[in-house]
Amino acid sequence: MTNSQFPFDISLTDVYKTYPLGLWKKKEAVCGVSFAVPRGEVVGLLGPNGSGKSTILKMTLGFIRPTAGEILVCGHAPSERQSRSFVGYLPENPRFQKFLTAREVLRYYGALCRLERSALSKRVDELLELVALTDAGNERIAGFSKGMVQRLAMAQALLARPRILLFDEPMSGLDPLGRMELRQLIARIHDEMPEATIFFSSHVLSDVEQLCASVVLLSKGKLKSFSRIDELLGARTEAYELTVRGVPEGHQADWGKRLRHSPLGETWTVDGTEDLLEALNDLKGLGAQVVGVFSQRTSLEQKLFGRVSNPDPDQPETEVTR
Amino acid sequence: MIALRVAWITMRELISERVFYLLLTFAVLALGFSLLLGQLTYAEQAKITLDFLLAAVEISMVLFSIFMGIGLFKRELLLGSVAMVLSKPISRSSFLVGKYLGQVAIQFAVMFCMLLVTLAIQSNFEGNSSALSVIQAVGLIFLEVLVLTAMAYFFAVNAGTITAAIVTLCLFAVGHMRESIVYHYNISISRSWIWPVIMSLIPDLEIFNMKTIASYGYTLDGTQLFWAVSYSFCCAVFFLFVACVCFANKDIAT
Repeated sequence: MTNSQFPFDISLTDVYKTYPLGLWKKKEAVCGVSFAVPRGEVVGLLGPNGSGKSTILKMTLGFIRPTAGEILVCGHAPSERQSRSFVGYLPENPRFQKFLTAREVLRYYGALCRLERSALSKRVDELLELVALTDAGNERIAGFSKGMVQRLAMAQALLARPRILLFDEPMSGLDPLGRMELRQLIARIHDEMPEATIFFSSHVLSDVEQLCASVVLLSKGKLKSFSRIDELLGARTEAYELTVRGVPEGHQADWGKRLRHSPLGETWTVDGTEDLLEALNDLKGLGAQVVGVFSQRTSLEQKLFGRVSNPDPDQPETEVTR
Repeated sequence: MIALRVAWITMRELISERVFYLLLTFAVLALGFSLLLGQLTYAEQAKITLDFLLAAVEISMVLFSIFMGIGLFKRELLLGSVAMVLSKPISRSSFLVGKYLGQVAIQFAVMFCMLLVTLAIQSNFEGNSSALSVIQAVGLIFLEVLVLTAMAYFFAVNAGTITAAIVTLCLFAVGHMRESIVYHYNISISRSWIWPVIMSLIPDLEIFNMKTIASYGYTLDGTQLFWAVSYSFCCAVFFLFVACVCFANKDIAT
């Protein structure tokens, strides 16, 4: 099958993975998971520890074989060498040979991707610039910080301009600044390579919320949902919290209700955009000072917690809304 | 080509390792100790010195091939650096063969240095040995090391670090006593099919042992050398091939 005939870059069909635990016991790490990642999308793979996220990524790369089911990467089985020519991979804890310089690492991995020598030198320079390591290009990795190693690993994943980027917990172990830099880098990669599919697992839900168009949610090896992130979170304008100062005591408003008093001021809740505008006009008339307006959008964390714990037995276990 | 790239990085990795220098120090000390032991004897000083020198070369290289080979490979798996290499469009066999070739190349360089030292020491003694017999003896040790390194990789793929090292060391010992074991089996143990099968799977490493006769100046003729080289290559290729097949079908939980 040619790649143009295949609409999905990654597809899993009824995939199972069972690990032996000793002689008799077995553990089902992945249990009948099916989904397909469309070309050019940024898709997050979410779930608690032990939900099978890393197992799915490793099966997609051919590191481990599924016990049952089928995985296709651009129409090829992961065990085929050709499938990996479409993929750039960033592992959770990237390790390089510490005696090599950043430039040597990229040349080595570029050679493994069968890039031509002249094209490789140019590509290495481009990537070092992209990941802001040009100045450290000739330094040994032994002296690199975790953030620098992570950025270098990102560069090696991009070497062959892959169609699919697989990131396993890319923000893991990074400080807030490092996380922000990497998040910006992923966003930049997506802007520069809009046709590339980015499929990554993460525990950092805010990163997923900011970067992903869709989310695959796993729990105990099973697919809980695969939906677009805006559908998962609901409309952005459900309700607002207004923090204001100087509202006369006992003031009754038909646009909302008083919630609590805080050192910043009084907090009111308002339903919908129209009520918000009315409230702002009313408050202006009263001479009150608006300290802040916050969207009361349900966080991804709250939504996911609800789905993973699945308290409603009548609720279907798997929900695919894509 | 890919295997050669992996081999080049493996060579650089080996010479950056602390264990490499530890084993190199051991080799130097073993050579020095051999020279010292030779000085302690009155009669046949040249023979005893050469015997100890060749034994020092063999022990150093056996330790080198087993511990460096297994350690290097296992560390790649445990630290997960193998994941980034195998995520590229290369076969697992290329990776394993590259590691093997890189290690063998370094072992060749180390053995060449040890051969030069041995020849320099031997030239200071008036004995029966010749430079050719010493070169042949060290060359045969290198052929043995080719087999042992392949065995070490085979066990490293299929077992834990300590188990792989112990089993390879045991097979090194059994491989040298194979003839004696077969002879003992023929006269004292009831015949069954299992023992011949097991013994045939263990390489006869005594083929590569001419340490004793080298000190008398004996050399091997062309046929014997051809047989030793062929046997070594066949055994090394067999173990490496099986290691590649096992590695290709193994789940890599990095």
